[in-house]
Amino acid sequence: MDSFIQQLINGITLGGIYALIALGYTMVYGVIQLINFAHGEFFATGGYVGVICLSFFTGLGYMETHPIFCLTASFALAMMYCAYLAIGVEKIAYKPLRKESRLAALLSALGVSIFLSNGLMLTQGVYDKAYPSELFQNGFNVGIITISYLQILIVCLTAVLLVALNLLVFKTKIGMAMRATAQDKTMSALVAIGSNRIISLTFAIGAGLAAAAGIMVGLYYGSVRYDMGFLPGIKAFSAAVLGGIGNITGAMLGGLIIGMVEIFGAGYISGEYKDVFAFIILIGVLYFKPTGIMGENIDDTRV
Amino acid sequence: MSKKSLSIVVMSLLVIPFIISTASAKTLKIGSMSPLTGPYASDGTDIKNGVLTAIEVFEQQEGPIPGYDKIELFPQDTVCDPRQAVAAANKLINLEVVGVIGAYCSSSTIPASETLNEAKIVMITPASTNEQVTDRGLPYMFRMCGRDDDQAPAAARFIKESLNAKTIFIIDDKTTYSQGLADGVSKNAKAIGLNVVNHDHVNQGDKDFSAVLTKVKAANPDILYMSLQGYSPAALMTIQAKRMGITSQIVTQDAVFQPKYMEVAKDTSEGVYLTYGFTDPTTPEYKAFEAKYVPKYGKIAAYATYAYDSTIALLKAIKAAGSTDADKIKAELMKLDFKGASKHVKFKENGDSGSSYIAFKVEKGEFVPYWDPATGLIKK
Repeated sequence: MDSFIQQLINGITLGGIYALIALGYTMVYGVIQLINFAHGEFFATGGYVGVICLSFFTGLGYMETHPIFCLTASFALAMMYCAYLAIGVEKIAYKPLRKESRLAALLSALGVSIFLSNGLMLTQGVYDKAYPSELFQNGFNVGIITISYLQILIVCLTAVLLVALNLLVFKTKIGMAMRATAQDKTMSALVAIGSNRIISLTFAIGAGLAAAAGIMVGLYYGSVRYDMGFLPGIKAFSAAVLGGIGNITGAMLGGLIIGMVEIFGAGYISGEYKDVFAFIILIGVLYFKPTGIMGENIDDTRV
Repeated sequence: MSKKSLSIVVMSLLVIPFIISTASAKTLKIGSMSPLTGPYASDGTDIKNGVLTAIEVFEQQEGPIPGYDKIELFPQDTVCDPRQAVAAANKLINLEVVGVIGAYCSSSTIPASETLNEAKIVMITPASTNEQVTDRGLPYMFRMCGRDDDQAPAAARFIKESLNAKTIFIIDDKTTYSQGLADGVSKNAKAIGLNVVNHDHVNQGDKDFSAVLTKVKAANPDILYMSLQGYSPAALMTIQAKRMGITSQIVTQDAVFQPKYMEVAKDTSEGVYLTYGFTDPTTPEYKAFEAKYVPKYGKIAAYATYAYDSTIALLKAIKAAGSTDADKIKAELMKLDFKGASKHVKFKENGDSGSSYIAFKVEKGEFVPYWDPATGLIKK
């Protein structure tokens, strides 16, 4: 039982990270029906900007005196950097192809993904970059269950970001504009919603969330490397499909399910098949409900 | 003179300088194969750097090889993928290289060596420790590093005799190398009366090991044996194990012998043991290697030293053979008997050059020789 709860905590932590990345896929798909395969690379870039900022702060000695400030600043910088990177990528690689077939944009996305990950390799090197912070490395024990402060930080931050995103999409004017664009670009243009601006914003938000996930992964696992975006990218994409691509709540749910299944599969059946279990669930759900758990829908919950 | 014959003369005049220049400036081509991209890019880059250093040192110490002006390296990327490795081997065959240093992963070396042997090209692996690399009886396959069936008993004996452990939990990541070694350790440990409580697997490229480590914590073994390909997953697993409060001693193996391991795992790597071939860092040969390598590429890592020795051996043999014929080079390789940077190089009939596994301990961010199977504790 103790180890069940421990595995549950592990699963929530991993699932939260997948959920944050999955949101980017699902939001972009919702607005322009494009699977942005370069999304995993925004996640990796976020992790790298984080390690650069935190190393810089540690070098100055601020990390000792103002840890909270340094973390906040690193998160803000990484999220902003990735947001602008995503806007740039969209303008260069996707916008000119918006009128072409969807396949063209998809290939362009794959190209951007390879370009960004190799760019990271060439500029940052092939070696792992270690996160400087030993902060939150400790934890506390409840019985034999160990919870690290980092796990708490990750779960809390993920929850805050998810709630903030929900508020943004469903309670603000910008969110309404996003939902309108997702439903009908021409119609929303008629009521004076600039679709280009909304699409940029969607990319920016998705990439910002991925960047936050990147730093959290870096802090949690202690290091980042240039190819870190690939596997979580694939998992998060599966999570988005599982939850129903285009649906925000679905992406969150999908991320949590994939994370949980992976951890429990590895914990109770066998570690070598954990990815298999995640995909069995995916295939099972898609077999009975091809639109995913929450379903890709046309009503106003889609972004 | 007709227009046609004029053009022929002009053409031949244009071509002649090329023929002459290739005749006078002949390049000795050698190839290297290692993962330069993908998850093992760092280890593969170390190998390439070791080879480049060896070429530089060889040209400086022994001068050019008769008949050639310079030695050129054609580094190929295998990505630690069998298919890419075979493609890289074919590319090197087309480039007409004389010898090949590589590959890194045993699962790449094995198929690539079949291709290279068919084309009669000598291959020396600096890093593939799986037994099958030399046990298939390929005539042109050589190995500079040790063998896993030497490493596994050394590790099992170390765990029993020096660490006085009774129970072991083994984790591998299912590569030819890591799984072969893990099976070997498991078999040897059982044979000398240790209790292997569990043998679990993770996937290549995993970052999250919390599930399997929770199992380790519940089992609470004396030893956690990590058989992982490369320092990067090993560092991640060490950090997560310590954070989770696992108190088992961690023992790991040669692929983790990389200064980057301590850089990433930091304090959590203190007190971790690993088995690796013994290299004396005080010999003049090692110093010569160090003097060239460190300023250019930084700290010397896992297989750079073996890659260096492999290249020196290959170049020595080519020079002595005075030919690019694989059989003549092989004959010279077998005659070699010299002090390398990593060890004394003397190839055996099957292409191996012997193992010298000892246990190292991580102390203050350095790998310190700790225990020798022959003599016991090196330092208290």
